[in-house]
Formats: sequence, structure tokens, C-alpha cells
Amino acid sequence: MKKGVFGRPPLGLLVPAAVAVLFIALPLIGLLTHVAWRDLAAELGSDEVRTALRLSLECSLLAVVVAIIIGVPLAYVLARSNLPGKGLIRALVVLPLVLPPVVGGIALQTAFGRSTPIGRVLYDGFGVTLPFSTAGAVMAEAFVAFPFLVITVEAGLRQADPGYEEVAATLGARPWRRFWRVTLPLIKPSLLAGAALAWARALGEFGATITFAGSFPGTTQTLPLAAYAAFEGSGEVERAITLSLILLAISVAILVGLRDRWLGTST
Amino acid sequence: MTLRADVRLHRGDLELVAHLEADSSGIVAILGPNGSGKTTLLRALAGLLAVEAGRIELDGEVLENTATGTWIAPEHRRVGMVFQSLLLFPQLSALDNVAFGLRSRGVSAAQARTQAYEWLERLEMSAFAASRPRTLSGGQAQRVALARALITEPRLLLLDEPLAAVDASARVELRRTLRTQLAGQQRIRLLVTHDPVEAAALAERVVILEAGHIVQQGSFREVTERPRSDWAARMAGLNLLRGDAAHGCLRLTGGGELTVLGEVSGPALATIHPRAIALHRQQPSGSPRNVVRAVVAGIDHEGDRWRVRLQGRIPLVAEITPAAAAELKLAEGGDVFAAIKATEVDVYPA
Repeated sequence: MKKGVFGRPPLGLLVPAAVAVLFIALPLIGLLTHVAWRDLAAELGSDEVRTALRLSLECSLLAVVVAIIIGVPLAYVLARSNLPGKGLIRALVVLPLVLPPVVGGIALQTAFGRSTPIGRVLYDGFGVTLPFSTAGAVMAEAFVAFPFLVITVEAGLRQADPGYEEVAATLGARPWRRFWRVTLPLIKPSLLAGAALAWARALGEFGATITFAGSFPGTTQTLPLAAYAAFEGSGEVERAITLSLILLAISVAILVGLRDRWLGTST
Repeated sequence: MTLRADVRLHRGDLELVAHLEADSSGIVAILGPNGSGKTTLLRALAGLLAVEAGRIELDGEVLENTATGTWIAPEHRRVGMVFQSLLLFPQLSALDNVAFGLRSRGVSAAQARTQAYEWLERLEMSAFAASRPRTLSGGQAQRVALARALITEPRLLLLDEPLAAVDASARVELRRTLRTQLAGQQRIRLLVTHDPVEAAALAERVVILEAGHIVQQGSFREVTERPRSDWAARMAGLNLLRGDAAHGCLRLTGGGELTVLGEVSGPALATIHPRAIALHRQQPSGSPRNVVRAVVAGIDHEGDRWRVRLQGRIPLVAEITPAAAAELKLAEGGDVFAAIKATEVDVYPA
């Protein structure tokens, strides 16, 4: 950063900038000051919190796995093929990023609900019901999270020199081996970053989950849903704060993990 | 083993139309200016670029034929390529980079590594077997890339500017390595370069590619003695003139004529060595049969020789000593007479 006379921006910018920092910091400080630190251990150990935490981790990690399994191939196709209508596909993939999650949940309901054709086939054929099940919660989280993965991995693929795949081909490697042994290692940093972003998004997912999967403790009530239920429903504000604290801690951990990518190291 | 390639394809502004034949008797250098399509030609042979029309046949096997729709994927061509940017896999050690080709062909990990180590030894790189590519110098990386390509025993080996990424001090050493490693192999070896020194040192035969077309081929000596394009003439350091020859007279395309010797008639090319051009301030009298009036357009200093660019009816470059330049009081914009003996003009059919 430039030092000296240009190191100090005008006051007209400094004041709003300070307001911006406070705007983010004050709620976080508020949250931290309201944590009942003495009862925290007991609260963390309670069945309700542990159930919600376990379910949240299971659902979000499964959602990330789903996102990787379908998202990496899609990113590859978007980055490397000259498929017609690629722009349209990319727009479709990015849509969940800007779509209100509730709309996502309702949309999932209209596609996979019990009374829909797919829902009937799943129920009649396999006895599976997606809405209001843990699988439904995973789906809802994957739906909102996988665009993060696709975008990050596609960017990584665009940066990776396709020459590596070409040289692998001249060495006798077939397409599948080229993908596994050459391309995937090259995009590993992007894949990890994309997975972390998707995980963060899945972990915080609220709207689509509550609409598509409901809020059933132990089945679909993940941490954010449990926090909301405690805060609004049963009025256990302390519990809501504890659950929020867990989510905050995980978010900070993800941020630390991605610091090289996001936080400039220059001061 | 022979290669027969008829290649026609477009890349941006470049139209590549090349008919190339090569066998395993010696290294063939594809020489040409930047952007002439050298790398594009290699990529087409390797199968990394589909040709729009044409046929590629290697060792009796048709790799590509647009007439029949034949196209063999690069991984099945047994055509090895060393890329200009080398492209060693960054996540693999030097050893695993070299072993990659064997692993791709189903050789067991242990055996592939043993063979890869032998190849590294052959290229004096075994001490770096465990090194990651980013820790290697340009010359070391080039050796690893060469070992990686050679271990797969390609029928056709393509080398794209193998010395370009190496600094001058390592270049001599690496050129020697290339010469010994590539000598006497039962495979076709094509070397792309824009550096005549490299072509002269390594290749038996030179193919000159300009603007997507092969303009000349032959031994390095043939190509530099009787160039057929301006680029080749510049490379050889010769003046190249075009015209029509008849009865000891060469009528130049751009106007003017020269008295020449020889029996050539019809469209012809002629070279004049810059040193064979004598410069005078006054119209010379006596033996030189050709005298050209010119203006000094520029003087380039090259050690004990000065190259004088002459502008006039016939554009020429003359080479004189600094002492001669001083005696003539040569300066840019000055008038001179260039005298050329008929015996110094080498005329050959175009």
C-alpha cells in the first residue's frame, strides 16, 4: 500500500468506511457479548445442540460430496468443450446464487414432491420420499451450494494450461487418465476452495431447506433451522446464540482456510 | 520408417498448406520465422489439431485422412512431442514425469520407475529424480522433458524449439546432449526452430516454412547457398534478387539489370554476397561489369564488419571494413556506387 501523503484518504471516504466496518462488527460483537460463556459447555453438550450440529455436518458434507460429483464434470464441460448453448447452461447453474432460497425450496418441492411424477416413481418404486427427509435437506443444501463449486472449479480449469492434457495425450494417456492424473491435480487448489465455499453455503442454508425439507429435529433441523426455532419458536434465546456461535466459529475457520485466496497479505 | 504428410488447415490468419516427407535417416529441421506455422504443423502431426484436408501416414499406418474420415487420437499415434514450454507435470517428481508415459501404457509402477530412472541416468539427470519441475533449471527441465518423450519409444519425435527456454551458457551443453541422444535412432525426428545455428548443428535436412508454406528444403548448405526466399537469404546473410535471365543478363523484377555469367534462362534467382559488393564515391572504371547508383540508407556495425544498406534501383546490402568506411567517408544519406563483378552473382532457376 502507498504510504506518505497519499496514504490518507479524504475524510468524506474515511467516515463511511468506518461506518461500514462498524456495521459488520457491531452485530458480531453483540452476539459475542450475549454468549453465556459460563453455561456454554453445558449448552454445547446438550442433546439438542449436538443433534443439530451432527445433522448439520452430515447434511452439509453430503451436499458438498454431491456438488463435487456432479459439479466438477459440469465445470469441465463448461470450461473445455465447445458445446452449443454453453452460456445458457452457465446462466442456469449460476441462478441458484441469486435466486431467493425459498423459491429454490418451492421449486424442489414442485419437481420432487410426493405428488410429482418423479416423486411418485421414487415412492412407488423405492419407497423413498425426498421432501421432509434428511435426503431432502441434503438436496436443498446441494441445490444452493453447488454453483459456488462449479464457478470456482471452472475458473481453475480456465487458468490451467490445457497443454498439460495435450502432452499427456502424446505420452499415451487416454482421456479418463488425463482427467484424473493431470487435470484434477492441477485444479486441486480451486477444487478445495470451491468445496469450502460450497460447504460454507450448505452449512448456512435456511430457506430452501425449511421449504423443501421442513424443520424436524434430528431429521432436517440443521443448525440454522435450530437457531431460528430456538429464537422465534421456543424463545430460548441463549440456545439460539450458542448455535449462532458455532456457525460463526465454523465460518471463521473457513475464512482462515481460504485466507490466501481471499484476504490480501499486503498491509 | 517414413512420414508422409499432406496438411491443410487454418489457424487465425495463418493458412498452413504443407506437404512433408521425412524418414529416420537424420534429423529434419523445420526452420522459419515466428508465426510461419511451424508449431501448428507439429501439432497437426501429433493429432492435437485436426487437419481440414489432408492425409498423414506414418510407418505405413494412416493416422489421419480427411477423405475417408480416418483420425487416430494422439494417445494412439505413438508420436512424441517435446513442447516449447516443456509442460512438465508440476505435481509429479522428475522421475514420475518420465514414468508417466509407461504408466499410461499399463506398465507397472515399479517397472516404469526403474526404466524412468535409467532414462534420467542417460541424460545425466538421475540426481534430480526426486525433484519437482519448478526447482529445475531450464536445461535440466529440458532433459527431463526429452527423457519423458523418448521413454515411450515414439515412431515420430517432434521437438518444438528445444533450446528456446535455455539460457546461452546452458545451450551449448544441451545442444550436445540433443545431438548425442537423437543420433542414430530408428525414428523420425522433426525439430522446429527459428535459429539457423540450431538447424545447422543438429539437422541433416532443413525445411523452410514461411507463412504456412514450405518454400524450400534440402541440406543446410544447399538452403543457405541458394536461398529461395527473402527470409532464407537473410538467414544466410546474402542479397537475394529475382528476375528473368537470358544471354548473360538478369532483368530484375523490381527494375534494373545485372550482367551475369552462366547458362540460366527464364525466371531466376540470384545471390550476391555482401562482401562481394565494392563501394565507391566516384563512378568506377575498369573490370566490374555492374555498377549500381545508390544512397546509403543505414549502416549496421557488426564487429570488424560494417553492413551498409543501400537504397536505389536495386536494394542491396554491402559489407565493408571500418577502415574502408572511413576512407569513403560513408554516412547515411550519402551517394555511392556499388560495383559487382559478374562472377560474384550466383544465378539459379527460380
